[in-house]
Amino acid sequence: MVPLSAYLAVAAILFTIGVFGVLFKRNSIIVLLSIELMLNAANINLVAFSKFGIYPDTAGQIFSLFVIAVAAVEAAVGLAILILYFRNRGTININEMDIMKR
Amino acid sequence: MTGEYIAFFIFAFMSITGAVLVINLTRVIHMVLAMGLTFLGVAGLFLILNAEFLAFVQVLIYAGAITIMMALGVMMTNQHHEKQVRRRWHSFFAFVGAVTIGGTVFYGIYKTPWVCNPSGFDENNILTIGERMFTEYVVPFEIASVLLLVALIGAVLIAKREGDQ
Amino acid sequence: MYMYNLAWIVPLLPLISFVLLVAFGNRLKERAAYLGIFFILGSFVLSTIIFTQKYLQKGEDYLFTFRWFRAGDSDYGIAGGSIFNLGFEVTELNALMLFVVTAISLAVFVYSIGYMRGDERLPVFYSYLSLFAFSMLGLVISPNLFQAFICWELVGATSFLLIGFYFYKESAKVAAKKAFLVTRLADLGILIGILLLFWQVGSFEYRDIFAAVEGGALAPWFITLTAILIFIGAAGKSGQFPFHVWLPDAMEGPTPVSALIHAATMVAAGVYLVARLFPLFAASTVALLVVAIVGAFTAIFAATIALTQNDIKRVLAYSTVSQLGYMMLALGSLGYIAGVFHLFTHAFFKALLFLAAGSVIHAVGTQNIKEMGGIGSQMKLTRAVFLIGALAISGFPLLSGFFSKDQILMAAYGSGNTFLFWMSLLTAVLTAFYMFRLYFLTFGGKVRTAISAHESPRSMTIPMAVLAFFAVFAGYIEFFGFGEWITAGGTIAQEISGPVWIMIGSIAVALLGIGLAWYVYGRDADATLAKAPKPAPLYKLLYNKYYVDELYDTAIVKPYTLFGKFLILFDKYVIEGMVQLAVHISVGLGRFGARLQSGQIQAYMLVTVLGIATLLISLAVRGLFN
Repeated sequence: MVPLSAYLAVAAILFTIGVFGVLFKRNSIIVLLSIELMLNAANINLVAFSKFGIYPDTAGQIFSLFVIAVAAVEAAVGLAILILYFRNRGTININEMDIMKR
Repeated sequence: MTGEYIAFFIFAFMSITGAVLVINLTRVIHMVLAMGLTFLGVAGLFLILNAEFLAFVQVLIYAGAITIMMALGVMMTNQHHEKQVRRRWHSFFAFVGAVTIGGTVFYGIYKTPWVCNPSGFDENNILTIGERMFTEYVVPFEIASVLLLVALIGAVLIAKREGDQ
Repeated sequence: MYMYNLAWIVPLLPLISFVLLVAFGNRLKERAAYLGIFFILGSFVLSTIIFTQKYLQKGEDYLFTFRWFRAGDSDYGIAGGSIFNLGFEVTELNALMLFVVTAISLAVFVYSIGYMRGDERLPVFYSYLSLFAFSMLGLVISPNLFQAFICWELVGATSFLLIGFYFYKESAKVAAKKAFLVTRLADLGILIGILLLFWQVGSFEYRDIFAAVEGGALAPWFITLTAILIFIGAAGKSGQFPFHVWLPDAMEGPTPVSALIHAATMVAAGVYLVARLFPLFAASTVALLVVAIVGAFTAIFAATIALTQNDIKRVLAYSTVSQLGYMMLALGSLGYIAGVFHLFTHAFFKALLFLAAGSVIHAVGTQNIKEMGGIGSQMKLTRAVFLIGALAISGFPLLSGFFSKDQILMAAYGSGNTFLFWMSLLTAVLTAFYMFRLYFLTFGGKVRTAISAHESPRSMTIPMAVLAFFAVFAGYIEFFGFGEWITAGGTIAQEISGPVWIMIGSIAVALLGIGLAWYVYGRDADATLAKAPKPAPLYKLLYNKYYVDELYDTAIVKPYTLFGKFLILFDKYVIEGMVQLAVHISVGLGRFGARLQSGQIQAYMLVTVLGIATLLISLAVRGLFN
């Protein structure tokens, strides 16, 4: 019987790596990918609690479904924006996207 | 050492390896592929957790659609020049921040006395999900579909080439 | 019908003149002189009346005071227990001074019409002169030290204005500053003295101070201390050693100014103050000795310097310093009568000498006596009055200076300071010598100057003649009971009677000095000048005024300037530095803050993550996970 904490630990590790990727990678697509990683970690948590929690309930899995849907949507729109940006500026290096400083 | 343990370790190892590779590989397309590996590992974890439907959806959507989409995106935004800007302070603090978050969560996990009631989910999972989806959660379901439609149209509009109709 | 109660008008008239001249001077231009003369004439008439009335009625002083403002109370109530009073009084000394100051002022005012003709700042000149007259007269009739000090400082300020009248000359500016600073430094003494006196006596009024002295309420050492402090201030104004350095340089001012201020009035203010506070001084033998020694020393010191100077006005300036030393010597020897008498006569003949010198300068255009000579035949009146003045100052018998100088010598001898007596006798020889050196080099011999001299206009010669009259006959006032009159207020004074040989001695030294001067310079001035030997060390010492100025420069001025420069640096680097530090901190903070908003997305996300991390840590530490 794998304990609950093991699943949670895995999710925590994935989340941490995802955070680091968001903060550190230069390519914006990898940033988006790291965001997806974080969402996956959250999903693992949800499903684990849906099985092992105090009141085991399939609601966790249903919620995960929605998370996946929204994540897909967000990835698609994000990618579209990135492609547009690349077309206009020629770079997707996140360090060079600093128009917000004005 | 039951089979469950072995399976768990294998899938956990897959996910974590994939994630670490995403950070440490050099070429972007390799990173995308490593991500796909992670998604597959996560799907395996779902299987062990008796969430079969979710596992298949994960493989379909994540490892299938999203990974391919990202790969296509990478191919379309191919950068040739790679400027290495050393941001020491930034990487240090990023590392610190990430580790802190992870560390505290870990601390929390192992401090909390979890009550484990392994429930029986051996019955038909998909049936339960389907029933609940269309009775209790029908409104979020419909909204999610609207969201998907809007995203579809929006993405097409955003990425359209100018001058087209 | 006594007019003492109108004495306050005497200083008021020049003040009105000042205000009017400041307001309308530009429009009046040359006629401003007549306005000034009109008012000072009024003052002169009134003070003559008061003087003669007081002379005939001695003993009763007139006093009027009123409270100016209230700031605490005093036990001595003149005006209801108040401390800060103003007013005026008419004593014998005051009346005498009123007469002298207004007479000389009138002479100078009239003289200046001719001397300052053509100067476009004539109205300004007369306004300064009027203001000076006001402050000097105010000083003289003050009934208390408070008002006296106010007028004292006013006198200093107006003399600054007058010395620096030719402000476009660098030397005039420097001289004015020097005069003001040196006297201001000396005034520190008088200020502390006044404050100390007030602290112990509780009042500024002369009457109260004298009452405290006589009543024995003050400790002897205290009386000595305050007397010496006040004497320091008087020494500054009267140019006694070591404060004499400003007087010769003050000759940068126009000659009428030198006549008025540095011959007759302002420098006499120091002597006047000592005389006025005579009961205070008389109560302390130490103070009297200090006054006498300083006076005698200054007298001989200045006389030796005067032997070598070539500028006509400088010789007269050192002569003034020397004669003031005589007056201090007299006062210090308890010779109140002698000192005041000499003050009276000196005012006339010294002013006369200065005006005559001015007449010469006006005609010839130079102040260097080596460039003059032989102009006696062309300026007969000037030569005559100058001769009268020179004879008077040398103590030639039957002229005014003879009587007053004789009394000083007797007082010095009688007080037991025999060393000082012999010093002053020697000084008398030197006085006669340098005076006549000046006379012979200026008027005698062959013509050495290129400019042809002409006699001065009547506006200048008439005042000189009047002053000459006084220089001759003012001394005869002694036969009209001057001594008893001036001490009628109860001032302690010594009996002026000494051995007859003193009088003979003073005549002898005067003739000796004149004879020597005639021998060296009178017979053939040009020859003497021609075979002038190379300057001996002694000559150099005297010519350079004993290097006192240079000493002051290195010992006092330079360190002080250095200190000032240090303070400037301190201000620039430390205080400015602190301000700059504040600026830099603000700017640095701003720049740092600006860097936070870099537009870098990952930087923003980093901040968010760090925030979350902090939150999580704080939650963990707080124990919410338990």
